[in-house]
Amino acid sequence: MFKKVLIANRGEIALRINRACHELGIATVAIFSEADRMSLHVRHADEAFCVGPGPVARSYLNIPNIISAALISGCDAIHPGYGFLAENARFAEIAADHGLTFIGPTPAVINAMGDKATARRLMDEAGVPTTPGSGIVSSVDEARAVSEKIGYPVLLKATAGGGGKGMREVHAPADLATAYATAQAEAEASFKDGRLYVEKLMVNPRHIEVQVLADAHGGVVHLGERDCSVQKPSHQKLIEEAPAADLDPALRTRLHDIATSATRAVRYTNAGTLEFLVAGDDVYFMEMNTRIQVEHPVTELIYGVDLVKEQIRIAAGESLGFAQEDLHPHGHAIEVRVNAEDPDNNFAPAAGTLTTVVFPGGPGIRVDTHVYGGALVPPFYDSMLAKIIAVGRTRESAILRMERALGETRIEGVKTTVDFCRELLADPRFRAGGVGVGWLPSFLAQRAQPV
Amino acid sequence: MTEDVIAARARALAGALVEAGFARLRVRDGETEIEVRRAVLVAPAATALSPAEPPARPAAERMADVVASDVVGIVRLARPLVVEGQEIEEDREVAFVETLGIRNPIRSRGTGRILAVFVTDGQPVEYGQPLFAIER
Repeated sequence: MFKKVLIANRGEIALRINRACHELGIATVAIFSEADRMSLHVRHADEAFCVGPGPVARSYLNIPNIISAALISGCDAIHPGYGFLAENARFAEIAADHGLTFIGPTPAVINAMGDKATARRLMDEAGVPTTPGSGIVSSVDEARAVSEKIGYPVLLKATAGGGGKGMREVHAPADLATAYATAQAEAEASFKDGRLYVEKLMVNPRHIEVQVLADAHGGVVHLGERDCSVQKPSHQKLIEEAPAADLDPALRTRLHDIATSATRAVRYTNAGTLEFLVAGDDVYFMEMNTRIQVEHPVTELIYGVDLVKEQIRIAAGESLGFAQEDLHPHGHAIEVRVNAEDPDNNFAPAAGTLTTVVFPGGPGIRVDTHVYGGALVPPFYDSMLAKIIAVGRTRESAILRMERALGETRIEGVKTTVDFCRELLADPRFRAGGVGVGWLPSFLAQRAQPV
Repeated sequence: MTEDVIAARARALAGALVEAGFARLRVRDGETEIEVRRAVLVAPAATALSPAEPPARPAAERMADVVASDVVGIVRLARPLVVEGQEIEEDREVAFVETLGIRNPIRSRGTGRILAVFVTDGQPVEYGQPLFAIER
């Protein structure tokens, strides 16, 4: 087992990893930017190094300073968290070159899954159903030909994409040229890679993903699915739950089987997530995320497995301590993301000082956060302040518990998504379960109409 | 630099200020200049129980540039070592910070007198950590 781990991240996930390490008896080293000097993850770690100024390119993405901090503090491994360098194969390679274990899959797998066109090809070969679509298209004309063949509406997607960037819906042939140009420009600006591919656009599918764990000795298990269909128009997730409500048992089993066989096929190791679009009985693979995910706690709460500890154990070469038949979910968990953004203004992110911070507690509530009263929300980073997770015996009891918890939550100083999420939870369509990804955008459109 | 970054820098400098016993420090970094001053302590009014003593004179104000590390690594002081009080006649490499085997030279950036050396040879340093104070 590792003696000391550098946590190459900030915010709640840095604290989450710190907790897992300390429970395993591993010392921790935090990194921080000048804007985060007073942040909680710095105080919780055993040691901390400032690696650069506020902007991420010079701090949380500063590979030489981060690797150097790990080496001079005597670390033997690096946990990248999510975002930042978590899916950067080059970072994983550089870490290995300096004798540091990267807590995640191998650089080759990160590369293959990170390039969406390659991932689709590998999944096709493994017999995993993928959405009808193309490989990389090199021109508008090629995109047009593919779109005619698979039929409109289509989705233009950046091969290096993520977080909804470099993605455009095209509903009619006349809109293709403009959408192609804007998606390409956005992908070029965001990922320095403007290559696009075309995919069939499914109408209001559900976003359902399967959590897997795989060790280096051939052990592969799934930890069920999460439903992340409640997404903002930017495709960022806002409410997640496990298990997916109202899912046909045969379909559920099929999703789990596809996920584990795909994981074996690409020789995956560590924790990963396979994202699928589900429409009726159709299941299509979207992408595989080669990291811990923001919404991992809903899985942890119903399976009783600490996914971050498992990541560390697997990276240290240990075998999974359980088989598939040992894993049984209990109850239902739901997560609400508390973001510093304004739901009445296109979720515009807000920065500032948090004057009041009161989080909920009591039975069945977990809060993963890095903020506190008086904390500063810097303008440089993700706007997520906290994740509130509720667990109950049934979906309805988990929702009631979440409503109670959000009622206890008081965050002042910046606008947040707390009250907006209460509105969402109260909506009869959400309450019924099984909404598609189109539900939140249509909810917003209705809400914006004058009464 | 944004306000909170300046505030964070200023906090780090305030620590260096106290450590070196200066009254005032000034750091230039590109377009930004940060100056921190120590508040002059006012002696409390003498009471009947305390012996009458003149209040301590505040340290003379001195202007100093703080040379900070802009990388994370191990600091190596140049030989012969610079010592406090030493005059530096010209721009000179006073140390380097080793990051992943690469030497990042630390220069005096002109003439001046070394007021303080905040680090010892072989010490790990972080981004923004004060290394030297140089009186101009």
